[in-house]
Amino acid sequence: MSFPTPSGDGVQSVDAVVAGFETLGYIADRSLATAVYLATKLRKPILVEGHAGLGKTEVAKVLAAFLKTKLIRLQCYEGLDVSSAVYEWNYQKQLLAIKIQERSQQTVEEKERHVFSREFLLERPLLQSILIEDSSPVLLIDEIDRADEAFEAFLLELLSDFQISIPELGTVQARHVPYVVLTSNRSRELGDALKRRCLYQWIEYPSLEKEMRIVRARLPGIEETLAAQVVRYVQSVRQLHLSKTPGTAETLDCAQALTVLGRQQLDAMTAEETLGCISKSVEDTAKIRAAGLEHLLSSTPEA
Amino acid sequence: MSEAVAIDAKSIVQFCRFAREQGLSVGVQKTLLGLRAAAVLGAPASEDFKSGLRTALCSNQEEWESFDGIFDAFWHEAGSGHAKRQAERRSARATDHNPQSSGSLMSGVIGSEESEPGGSQEIAGASARERLRKADFSTLRQDDLSALEEIALRLLRQMSLRLSRRRRIANLRGRVDLRRTIRSSISRGGEPIDLRYQDRRPRPPRLVILLDISGSMSAYSLFLVRFAYALQKYFQRVDTFLFSTSLVDVTRILHSRRLPAALQALSQIAAGWSGGTKIGGSLAELNRLHGRKLHSGDTLFIILSDGWDTGSPELLAAELAAVKRRVRKLIWLNPLLGLAEYRPLTQGMSAALPHVDVFAAAHNLESLLQLERHL
Repeated sequence: MSFPTPSGDGVQSVDAVVAGFETLGYIADRSLATAVYLATKLRKPILVEGHAGLGKTEVAKVLAAFLKTKLIRLQCYEGLDVSSAVYEWNYQKQLLAIKIQERSQQTVEEKERHVFSREFLLERPLLQSILIEDSSPVLLIDEIDRADEAFEAFLLELLSDFQISIPELGTVQARHVPYVVLTSNRSRELGDALKRRCLYQWIEYPSLEKEMRIVRARLPGIEETLAAQVVRYVQSVRQLHLSKTPGTAETLDCAQALTVLGRQQLDAMTAEETLGCISKSVEDTAKIRAAGLEHLLSSTPEA
Repeated sequence: MSEAVAIDAKSIVQFCRFAREQGLSVGVQKTLLGLRAAAVLGAPASEDFKSGLRTALCSNQEEWESFDGIFDAFWHEAGSGHAKRQAERRSARATDHNPQSSGSLMSGVIGSEESEPGGSQEIAGASARERLRKADFSTLRQDDLSALEEIALRLLRQMSLRLSRRRRIANLRGRVDLRRTIRSSISRGGEPIDLRYQDRRPRPPRLVILLDISGSMSAYSLFLVRFAYALQKYFQRVDTFLFSTSLVDVTRILHSRRLPAALQALSQIAAGWSGGTKIGGSLAELNRLHGRKLHSGDTLFIILSDGWDTGSPELLAAELAAVKRRVRKLIWLNPLLGLAEYRPLTQGMSAALPHVDVFAAAHNLESLLQLERHL
């Protein structure tokens, strides 16, 4: 089995991705591994979509570790604009510098050039991602569905040219084109232009076997029977129509909680105590209790 | 696995075309991406090949889930390359892709009574278009539905565009733009004498729509759904709810599907309900469970109902007042206003009126379009 060298060109095959990710504790199914492989080979951005808590953000983190390169993360939110995402001038420093220079003999143009130089530039994630010196970083644009259309339009420009123009400094070109991973919770439909440009991967809730493998990978010491109980329990809870269906993150939280509490097995009382790991709202907790914890623990979830 | 169709560039392009006909949004860019993916993956006819194409050609969950069926239909047609030949024939004809009309979907809701003998037969023509614009939704005939559908969507999209342009033109001074201020201060020895302002970035507002689907309101509501769908492009967020005795959040349905599929899902939901309307109760549910959607920023609230409420008018008034406190504008659409003799005399309607900013009709396309100035 060959392991990859530190650049994307070294990713040998889909198998290498699966194996490499597993070594790093991330269980990726073949479909996701294929998408990641294509993303690195074709240098196309990849859009990972799915419900909360299913490891979308993890994909980028593991990819960065796998490629032995830096991870740069941009967390999107409503109202995210260029100054928070790309760059901003350090105004306080600039004002001070101007004051200091007041008496100096330089011309106005020279002063201006000094004040608008790299020294006074605050690099935000998007700019950082194209300035990395040694190798292509992984640029994670998290929850792009929370940003608005204007930001999407800007992002499109960036993803096509990988250059940013700063009026005072000129155009900055990427030294190494970053690997771009976008995640979305599907809270709104993304723009067509962006979707057309990306490879796509929909992450579904895992099957029983897959979730077991995930728990084993992330919590190596855990007892097999306990892990099986937790996974079965959460899989049953997923069949209820909660407003926030628990993802694998919640399964791992629950399993970890049991380990910390020193429980050997998951019974109704323990489930009641750890309900907060699984349910994130009053209505959901009520629904789970109404379905009966005993029942959920003993039922075998549908395949 | 044995493949019926040889895998080469030509067949991949045909597959992409086939996929487009099956509803996937595969254009030139995605087709090229698919070809490149296949080239990189090399090994033909493997699971990876399918995964690779799926990653390259899909753009959302619905396409993702339907992909397997489409893939198998094309590549594994029992030894005859049947689907491939179909695609070839279709490409030879080079027809335009006609969006599937949902006219038939409305028929389940609208009664199948014979229309008045005065209804004209021709659909095309300016006078017929005029007639369709003024035709009350609940009296439409089957053939008119699809024609009206097309006109409506086109006009609503134009409205959506106009609204977004309107926002951009409005020029208000916003915060101080530090960067430009500093630049101009350099020549002033560092004193920010000339302040430069940022143009206030117009934020598209949010829209919350509540649609009454009890009894006769159903027909109007389902038409207003198109209104909500078309406006999704303009508003930051459109939250849509159906209500009768309680509230159902159908926002996701409108987001994720093409209009015909969404309408079908919605008419199924609508068909399942019966019994009196609880407007006050539904508003209470909205305030309690979805209050956050009303709270944030610039929200426009539209409710479509005839005001016939089996609950108490006090509850209705109280809950509506609570909504009014949180939103920028409250619009009540009552299809009965389309009738000349209507007066809002029912208890429910008169209890609600004091809290309503705009009281308008929404019984035909024309009245819907007139809403534009209130948005």
